[in-house]
Amino acid sequence: MILYATIEAAMYAAMRKAATTIPPDVEDALRKALAEETDPLARQHLEVSLENAASAAQGDGLVCGDTGFPLYFVTAGSGTVIEGGFGALWEAARSATARCTSDSLLRPTMVDPLTRTNPGDNVGTGMPKVELVFCGGGDGLEIIAAPKGGGSEIFGTFYRMLFPADGETGIKAFVLDCIRAGCYAGKICPPAIVGVGIGGTADLCMQLAKRAAVLRPVGSRNPQPRVAEMEQGLLAAARRLGIGPMGSRGINAVIGLHIETAFTHTAALPVAVNAQCLVGRRWTALVSADGGTRLSG
Amino acid sequence: MGKTVVDLQLPLSEEDARGLKLGDMVTVTGIVFTGRSRFHIRAVEESILPPLDFERINCFFHVGPVMRQEDGQWQIVSIEPTSSIRFERYGADVVRKLNLRTLIGKTTMGLRTAAALAEVGGVYLSKIGVCGNQLARQVREVRAVHFLDELGKTEATWVLDVERFGPFFVAMDAHGNSYFEQLGADIRSLLPEVRHDLGIPEGFKLTNVNACEVQDLTHVRGLENER
Repeated sequence: MILYATIEAAMYAAMRKAATTIPPDVEDALRKALAEETDPLARQHLEVSLENAASAAQGDGLVCGDTGFPLYFVTAGSGTVIEGGFGALWEAARSATARCTSDSLLRPTMVDPLTRTNPGDNVGTGMPKVELVFCGGGDGLEIIAAPKGGGSEIFGTFYRMLFPADGETGIKAFVLDCIRAGCYAGKICPPAIVGVGIGGTADLCMQLAKRAAVLRPVGSRNPQPRVAEMEQGLLAAARRLGIGPMGSRGINAVIGLHIETAFTHTAALPVAVNAQCLVGRRWTALVSADGGTRLSG
Repeated sequence: MGKTVVDLQLPLSEEDARGLKLGDMVTVTGIVFTGRSRFHIRAVEESILPPLDFERINCFFHVGPVMRQEDGQWQIVSIEPTSSIRFERYGADVVRKLNLRTLIGKTTMGLRTAAALAEVGGVYLSKIGVCGNQLARQVREVRAVHFLDELGKTEATWVLDVERFGPFFVAMDAHGNSYFEQLGADIRSLLPEVRHDLGIPEGFKLTNVNACEVQDLTHVRGLENER
């Protein structure tokens, strides 16, 4: 049985690490982008961002001062047993988030949508968000903490119900428009990681897009050849829009374009886009059944 | 690093503001005050303003800093400029009301704010990359905080004494010009070829299930700027 205290500590550790260190695959992609850009402003946007991340990793400041929405993506196995039951995951997430906020690792950013009241600890109705999925027969827990920045979530979220007659051409036209709309003037903080969901219901479609943007390694390819081909085609197109880092003149509006699909209604072709910003914050805590915890980027 | 960086003394004079060109790299030295959505809405809708001498403290920094209190002293952990375009509904009114010569933020603002800046002789400075840790080190002193109890640390107005704060680039000058508006024209010119090479036929449109009688509902579908 995995103890509540172990889970809370793992969530805190993963969120702390995510707030202070960019994942290695994201950093590699940013360095690759820097090697490609020639416009002085485009280069400076990347150089400053990498310098900022380095200072955060050394204990001075944060990866980004907008620590955004506190998200936890949890994967359990069918053999996983948790002290207090699975509901304890939500209590652990609330506690870890409040501790991270009081330690100034997260900015108090979550407010009531109508009264705009800010409790000061990022804890309220529906927040932090915990998404639990089950995969395989294991007995451990994978916890990915992602403080998701406001820019990418606020300006980089799109959904539209397309129709079978719109086809792949329609998907490409829609996604390209979303990328242009999000990247113009640097709103989603490019170079962005763009997640695309195709199929499902509206909520499943957006969930696919969010997971594609936040969880997949940058530049990974969907195992379905037809989908992988669309990923590559859209990424190549995004690189020719003339938009670079933070909306400057350049190439790297997008450094990763990930598509996930789900079966949908025969009458429907839902498409969702969710962007992740250039710092791509996420960190994983793997908790084994004996209580051992290992962090990885 | 690119262009030479010029350090501007705050409050910015109209002459200094009028002399700046789009794309110029600058830092600022002097006193800035902070605010976000709540500042804008309250300033215009309720005439609630912090008790500041806006002639002297005239640089409005769009930001919600991450703050930490140690031994009663406020410390800045990180201070990342926030997206100013969110405030466009109120931006021009606030610029005129406070006669603002300097705005600092992320991205840019719209044409109404550009026109207001041209009127008062003010500029909009946009951040370079993700820079909140560097900017935190350039704050000499946290002078004061207003509305902390009502608005919390993120939306409160902080008054900061900064030195060689930046760099930023001039994204809107004091003559009504916008860096991103000009860049947008170049980007649009590249689009037809990109769409063509993706296999999107000229004039292609997504199926519109509302035909023409409810065209005003375009925004409901989630992509306001579609053709």
